[in-house]
Amino acid sequence: MLTVVKNQVRVCLLSVKYNIMREMLNKVTFLSNILFMVLNNATFLIQWTILLSLREDVGGYTMREILILWGLAASSHGLSHVLFARVFSLPELVINGKLDAYLVQPKSVLLGVMTSSTSASAIGDVVYGFLLLCLSGCGFGGFCLFLLFTVTGAVVIIAFALLLGSLSFWFVRADVLQNNLVNGMISFATYPDGIFEGPVRFLLYRVIPVGMAIYQPVHVIAAFEPHALLEVVGYAALLMTVAVFVFYRGLRRYSSSSLMAARM
Amino acid sequence: MKKYAIIYKAVLMENLQYALQITMGFCSYFIMIFVMVHLWRYMYQSPGSLIAGYTKEQMIWYVIATETIWFGARSATVSRQAAADIRSGNIAYMVNKPYHYPLYILAKYTGEWSIQLPLYVAFAALVGTGMVGGLHRMHPVGLLAVALAVMLGVTINGVFKLCISLLSFWVEDSVPFQWLYDKLILVVGTIFPMEIFPAALQPVLKLTPVYTVCYGPAKLLVDFGADTFGEILLAQSVYLAAGGVLLCFLYRKGVKKLYVNGG
Amino acid sequence: MKAIKARELSKTFRVRRKEKGMYGSIKSVFSPKAEEIRAVDKISLTVEEGEILAFIGPNGAGKSTTIKMLTGILYPDSGSVEVLGIDPTKKRRQLAYEIGTVFGQKEQLWTHLTPYDNFLFFGAIYDIPGREARMRIRELEDVFELGDLMDTPVRSLSLGQRIRCEMAASLIHRPRVLFLDEPTIGLDPVVKENVRSLIRRMNREMDTTVFLTSHDVGDIEKLCQRIVIVNHGKIVLDDSTAHLKGGDVSLEKVIMEIYQSEGGRPEAS
Repeated sequence: MLTVVKNQVRVCLLSVKYNIMREMLNKVTFLSNILFMVLNNATFLIQWTILLSLREDVGGYTMREILILWGLAASSHGLSHVLFARVFSLPELVINGKLDAYLVQPKSVLLGVMTSSTSASAIGDVVYGFLLLCLSGCGFGGFCLFLLFTVTGAVVIIAFALLLGSLSFWFVRADVLQNNLVNGMISFATYPDGIFEGPVRFLLYRVIPVGMAIYQPVHVIAAFEPHALLEVVGYAALLMTVAVFVFYRGLRRYSSSSLMAARM
Repeated sequence: MKKYAIIYKAVLMENLQYALQITMGFCSYFIMIFVMVHLWRYMYQSPGSLIAGYTKEQMIWYVIATETIWFGARSATVSRQAAADIRSGNIAYMVNKPYHYPLYILAKYTGEWSIQLPLYVAFAALVGTGMVGGLHRMHPVGLLAVALAVMLGVTINGVFKLCISLLSFWVEDSVPFQWLYDKLILVVGTIFPMEIFPAALQPVLKLTPVYTVCYGPAKLLVDFGADTFGEILLAQSVYLAAGGVLLCFLYRKGVKKLYVNGG
Repeated sequence: MKAIKARELSKTFRVRRKEKGMYGSIKSVFSPKAEEIRAVDKISLTVEEGEILAFIGPNGAGKSTTIKMLTGILYPDSGSVEVLGIDPTKKRRQLAYEIGTVFGQKEQLWTHLTPYDNFLFFGAIYDIPGREARMRIRELEDVFELGDLMDTPVRSLSLGQRIRCEMAASLIHRPRVLFLDEPTIGLDPVVKENVRSLIRRMNREMDTTVFLTSHDVGDIEKLCQRIVIVNHGKIVLDDSTAHLKGGDVSLEKVIMEIYQSEGGRPEAS
């Protein structure tokens, strides 16, 4: 069992390495992608400086919490796109029958697919996330929590994308659904949860999983609470389990490129 | 001119098929508006207060207008497709076709937004009225003026995005430049009106494309005045002319480089 | 043991139909019309170990769908499959260690890497320890004459060179059954001949079972002892190549006649 896991991890790491090598074929483009992504993200500091000059706090967040919020959103989003970028285009692969190569390999289909591409600019997101963390002046404890929540946040984002993307085994238009909801989740992730009330908060914590991916971790970093931390970890594990289950259910309906052939 | 009309028509037909997809795009749009409405509700502590001279209703309608322009003008044609055509060398074949490539792309872009934008406008009217209540009454002529400003703004946006894509003649990947342009529009022109920035910055900001692409039309919607309209229309005309010249210049230079280097 | 055993294998696809023009597009949004296409219809087949079998038929006859069910890519709607005694629907990964696949134009290689790095990657996929993998690569390098190509990124190779690399990559784990879907498509005659002799050599030296589809009669004539012809999802002929070739009519003509006589039949649905 242990060797199986070890061998799988070895293949995944090799995939990620090869992906990054591919992005680095043109070093100038690679570096400028990363740099521009950092700049791109940084423009939002202007927005928050202005909003916080109008009112002392926004939804209970001062600049420090805003920095953690943005940092965590950027680093989780970045990490998910560095390692598992393909999950965000899963519908395209399913619909066009591009899973064949992974299905004849004696390794996990899901991991093989997800690790088959990367995004250079996402490295910029991760870098930016940690830059903001430094700016926010969190101590060592905060840093460790931030690291942990970057991972759980990435897990939640990937699981959410996987769950929605797997629907493409049933509906062709699942790509649009996946795209919209995942982007919507990122939109929510960059605003304080304090501006929402009542049923909306419920929605954000339970339906669109941004609450557990980003908001609750920000609160835990601001004021530590072990119970809330465990809740986040448990939630990430649960959502991922469900998503993986749905993916493998859908895989039985996979039709390869035979539909395309039939259409001719 | 007829060939551009035909390109336009073909894209229009194609896009009707994607009406469903556009409807799904409302989802992202709605989330954005939803977040913004909540943000500004929080920012206005007391109902009657003004921020940068805007009431709460005006502020929210301003944001709805700019977001509508932003989403309604979204298109991969002027950004990704044009860049891909150039990078892949496809452009070499298109140069020889009996049309002017930038105009072809712009006709395609226009075909896209003339379906997309009205749908978003209708949806925006619905969402806005539902979430903040109707805007002050507006004269039909005023609405026409706003519509004109919006159309000009969206066109200017297309010209600039295409200019950035033409940079692909020289750089490997023009997408990062698109990000920066997008962020300029988003941060300076979408989330709040320009008046909110320090007074010293105002004249500088008025010179950026933000003023003509989204601030102008949105400002007209929430606070219409014949003077403002004249000013914005003038700025848009200047911008459109300058953008057009820039576009032609970049395209000529790019094609020349293509011939020298043989694609 | 039989290399492949398939019993009453069937697969049906639902295809959405769209009428022409704008009216059709609008209509298909509101009332999508689905049509069932029976791609494979109760195919039963056994293949002995060490056999080279040609599995042929006109386009859309159900060849690829059958191969995909045998290799675990597609779930059959009904019927049962066993490859080397392993059921692909239940033990896909276990089976994957035993079989190799080359699917015509579909590429399994990383194009920005050299063949050498690619082979190392496939070595990792099949859990081959580093040292053994390097030995194995050297062997494949000899067999496929890849010496000069080993340090060139795959994207700079010619089509023929790529196919050779694809085949080498799919052999790194010494599969006992090899599925080849149009392995010689688009290759020039010399390379074609090379690929054929490779297949023959593997079959002779390692007793590899080969399951091959091809539109190239040369492939079939020169490689296969047995021919199975499918049309409209059904097996219409299963015979030895020698028997079919008998007389002075060319194999190509015989196959053409079978295709045409079956082509007139109404489609089963």
